[in-house]
Amino acid sequence: MKQVAETPAILRDLRSLKVVVIHPQDQDGEELLAQLRRIGCDVEVCWPRLDSLPSGTGLVVMAMRPETLSIDFPWLGTSTSPPVIPVVTYENPITIEAVLRLNAFATIPSPVRSFGLLTAIAVALTQFKACRMRERYIERLEQKQAKVRVIQQAKQIVMKARGVSEEDAYQLLRSQAMLKREQIETVAGEIVKAHETLSF
Amino acid sequence: MTRIDSGGTSAPIKIGVLYSRSGVTSAAETTQLQATMLAAEEINRAGGVSGREIELVCLDPQCQPRRHAELAEQLILEHRVRIIVGCYMSSTRKAVIPIVERHNALLFYATPYEGFEYSRNVIYTGAAPNQNTLPLAGFMLSQFGSRVSMIGSDYVCPYESNRVMSDLILERGGEKVDETYLPLDAPWESYLDVANRIKQRSPDFIFSTVVGEGIPHLYRAFAHVGLDPYRMPIASHMTSEAEIAVMGNDLAQGHITSAAYFQSIDTAENLAALARYQARFGADQPTNMCWEAAYFQMHLLADAIRRVGAEDPTLLLRVLPGLEFEAPQGRVRIDEHNNHTYLHPLIGRVNAHGRFDIIGRAPERVKADPYVVSHITPEWTAHAHPELARAGAVR
Repeated sequence: MKQVAETPAILRDLRSLKVVVIHPQDQDGEELLAQLRRIGCDVEVCWPRLDSLPSGTGLVVMAMRPETLSIDFPWLGTSTSPPVIPVVTYENPITIEAVLRLNAFATIPSPVRSFGLLTAIAVALTQFKACRMRERYIERLEQKQAKVRVIQQAKQIVMKARGVSEEDAYQLLRSQAMLKREQIETVAGEIVKAHETLSF
Repeated sequence: MTRIDSGGTSAPIKIGVLYSRSGVTSAAETTQLQATMLAAEEINRAGGVSGREIELVCLDPQCQPRRHAELAEQLILEHRVRIIVGCYMSSTRKAVIPIVERHNALLFYATPYEGFEYSRNVIYTGAAPNQNTLPLAGFMLSQFGSRVSMIGSDYVCPYESNRVMSDLILERGGEKVDETYLPLDAPWESYLDVANRIKQRSPDFIFSTVVGEGIPHLYRAFAHVGLDPYRMPIASHMTSEAEIAVMGNDLAQGHITSAAYFQSIDTAENLAALARYQARFGADQPTNMCWEAAYFQMHLLADAIRRVGAEDPTLLLRVLPGLEFEAPQGRVRIDEHNNHTYLHPLIGRVNAHGRFDIIGRAPERVKADPYVVSHITPEWTAHAHPELARAGAVR
């Protein structure tokens, strides 16, 4: 390292991070809570049920215990779910499978130590954010891909029906779209649909 | 308070001491060792801790992290010690922490460090960044300007201090004009190169996170290329009276340091402790921030042992949080939740006698916040500081 880089935004924002801790009040729970408070996060604790997340929750830390394994948390696995860091006491396949289902980016081993929590939080938040961005990017790519496919189909139909070249077929689609003040993929979609309706 | 019957034992209380007498940071560590000895002698002269004498077991870790770990284990296993005072550089503390955690021993750490740590088995009595780097940054950026040269020793603490400083410079629209890290054992010529570069680029001030033997090199190089500390000072949170004693007063004069303690503090506690120290170790022996933390932590420890009637770490940890002591710097307090210490931040400028004229001080003691990432500079550092002008002209 030759130059100190700017502090990552995720670390800068830790003091406004709302953390929900789903953990019993045992020694691990106390250590976890004390360290989160030292770090300066806004912490809320509940155990074992949590039917809805408090608004603004940026991170959930959850004890992977028999109590939580049997609960179906309705706020998990949705497009708006925050990242979850599991606190792992058992390494049996059942528990590990539950950890994997959470799509966790970091875990905290039990017995909980103060050291390592900050890194786990930073890794989880960063990877979660990157993952969300990738998902959105893939979604946009898929939408774009679908549009291209419809336009391609419509071009083929126009080429056959009018006996024109691919380039001319495209220009026809474009001028129709401009005339109707619509997107080219909308016009293309109508042509494909009409063609399907007629092909019986 | 809980008082456990110690069975009327009069066996001495053994305390392990890990301060280096050779190696890059031995100048400051030697003063910490002597402060520890002074405090132990004071406690013993006053009848010990509930009639039990304090017995120091001093080993020399020679500034090497591995040796720190080995000697910490030796203290615990062979000397049957449960409490250790010592460590200076973060690398040495990091080496000792796993040992004290494994054996449930207790480490008292009396040196400023970079924060982002909490161990149940460590009591931190030196400053966290919000108690030294932050006041220094606020003071320097307000009083001198925000074009800054950074020079540090190549290890973790300087990087972290410079991250804090860099963020604050950028927030103010300032500029990092230079950023250099030198190995702990870099020769004088390397410092000369840096000083020449600084002279060329003419920043508003130099932020130094150099430690140990590099400090005299840096200040000497600065003077050698003809820079004026009253126009462009070196600001540091590590340069203390211990390093000034090595480099000589003339090289240090005009430069600025932030710390929770300077020898020149005029509290009754400081004057008395200083007199006893110099009577014991020599009239020419200066004190410094690390000396003071090493001194007051022994008294806090003795008080804690007195309260629980034993030197068992688990019991001590029940009373240490929240414990207060009238230290030379003023009243200090161990925080209830993070094992760090409330301290009194000061800004000082070296005068012709090699002592610090205090040119800024926090209005009250400051809680250590070892996990703060985004810093806001304290308000008092931005005010006009007439003491600064008196301690040397700002042009």
